[in-house]
Amino acid sequence: MSPDTVSNELAPLSWADAAYFAPEWILLAFFILLAVLDLFLARSTSRAVIGYLTLTGLVASMGAVLWRLIDRDQAGSGEGEPVADVIRLLADSYRIDDFASMLKLVFLAAAALIVLMSLGTVKQEEVPNRGEFYYLLLPAVVGAMMMASAGDLITLYVGLELLSVTTYVLVGLRKREVKSAEAAFKYVVTGGIASAFILFGMSYLYGLTGATNFGAIAQAFQSQQAIAAPELLYAGLFLLLGGFGVKIAAAPFHAWAPDVYQGAPTPITAFLAVVAKGASLAAMFRLVFSIGFFASAPGWPIADDIFLLLLVLAAAAMIVGTTAALVQRNMKRLLALSGVANAGYLLIPIGLSLQDMHASNTGEFGFYLIAYMLMNIGAFAVVSLVERSRGEELLGGFAGMYHRAPWTAIAMLIFLLSLAGLPVTGGFFGKLFILLGAAQSGAYWILAVMVASSVISYYFYFAIARQMFMRSLGDDTPIPVPVTTGIVIWICAALTLVLGIVPTPLLSWMNEHISIVTDLLVR
Amino acid sequence: MLASYLTMAAILFCIGLYGALTKRNAVIVLLSIELMLNAANLNLVAFSKYGLAPSLKGQIFSLFSITVGAAEAAVGIAVLIALFRARGSVNVDDYDEMRR
Repeated sequence: MSPDTVSNELAPLSWADAAYFAPEWILLAFFILLAVLDLFLARSTSRAVIGYLTLTGLVASMGAVLWRLIDRDQAGSGEGEPVADVIRLLADSYRIDDFASMLKLVFLAAAALIVLMSLGTVKQEEVPNRGEFYYLLLPAVVGAMMMASAGDLITLYVGLELLSVTTYVLVGLRKREVKSAEAAFKYVVTGGIASAFILFGMSYLYGLTGATNFGAIAQAFQSQQAIAAPELLYAGLFLLLGGFGVKIAAAPFHAWAPDVYQGAPTPITAFLAVVAKGASLAAMFRLVFSIGFFASAPGWPIADDIFLLLLVLAAAAMIVGTTAALVQRNMKRLLALSGVANAGYLLIPIGLSLQDMHASNTGEFGFYLIAYMLMNIGAFAVVSLVERSRGEELLGGFAGMYHRAPWTAIAMLIFLLSLAGLPVTGGFFGKLFILLGAAQSGAYWILAVMVASSVISYYFYFAIARQMFMRSLGDDTPIPVPVTTGIVIWICAALTLVLGIVPTPLLSWMNEHISIVTDLLVR
Repeated sequence: MLASYLTMAAILFCIGLYGALTKRNAVIVLLSIELMLNAANLNLVAFSKYGLAPSLKGQIFSLFSITVGAAEAAVGIAVLIALFRARGSVNVDDYDEMRR
């Protein structure tokens, strides 16, 4: 476990190491118990109990992650070091560092909010197996957590597939709805092709270095005088990034997103938009900074090309996402396209690399990811309410919402302001920090693209606000707001405002704790 | 030796991608994805024997990916059966419920 060398010895899982996996164990134990419980519960019993137990599991796991985070924090400050050593498990194939812990907390919180939101809105007749609906979220979150912590290509691939395969099932859970099955099939096909690209890219990386560990691959890049076949390395890394591009739905790989988001049950749509996208972005972050960063050969500026490619991908996603959303009348498809643009914003900190004294990429990424999680889950919760009361999720369904559910309309306005990137919301500061980072690294063209796409996006975000406040259908029957969904909406709205009023504590915590150098670049 | 294996895998991958993108029968689309995954497995095994730095890791990786691929195929077929029941067709051109 020495920090600077990669051990090639077999490292079996000891009891002491197993304790570090507590968050993952908790989720898996709850998953198995709930799967069995679901079988034995009488058919007539409400499955809400499984929903609440899922929520308990997620919160317990969050507690375990937090406890480890605080424990490591104290261990680090005790020895006069700002940051404690990264915990490496199973021959460095699983890493527990602050970057991973922060992301795990985001995924767990998102999943908990999504479970809470679906307790109020998912109907028995819509999703026949509500037990499965809740407990299948647990292995999906474990997959996302594995992706955030992976230090090895095999771990990353298994985590990715655990998340993907579980979400394929979740998307198709509205069994009686043709759209749901169709969305699930489209997701399986595009997801499967993306996985094949990722695996093919990984096979080239392994072939050129003979290692599957991120650190060992980076070492091999640095120790070999010239990389034997730079063409293969290019092919491998680009296949890998292309595959992840599909997973995060960045343009031009986004065509599946509107269909899948529309067909899936709305809480699952929120899960795809936040957790599945966030986990793939986290994996990209780690891959790019621990492998791509070191990939260079004489005459072949591979690392520079990768960072440029990421920025181009980000620009394409922002432009295509916002312009395609302009003509969209279906709320779920609109939010899918807004998610494409947001994937672009989140790619910028990854694509900026470490240059010109700019090293706060993780802080910018983490802050915007948290703001994105809050505003997106909140917006999807409101969409699920509208969908529930009107039976469809078209933009017109928001007409006169201010008269039918004034408080919910105000919460939705906060989410829309945050999505559009206006003060005083978390989305404003998230975009501002990314902008400042881009300016600091001198990438002014991406800054221009980002501002332009934000301005264009005002059009469709305010179209929703106009429907809510200025149109009326003459139908003023109040929209019923189930308590749990209401709680989710107000948690998200309040935290979005808090991030918009006092953004510095979160940002400075992340910049102090998560550093690319110790968390990601290490061998 | 390595070059021929890599070429073979690349050809398999391209055939799989072509099939997944152009075939109209949903079952063949799923089969084509399996072909792409197996092309990657062939790469891994070839590299672990004839690669620049041969090691057993490639074979272990391929075992993992075969297992994961099987799980993915099972879910894919299950989703396809659900869709076939709802839609009554395996022609992917008929899956246009949301594009109208």
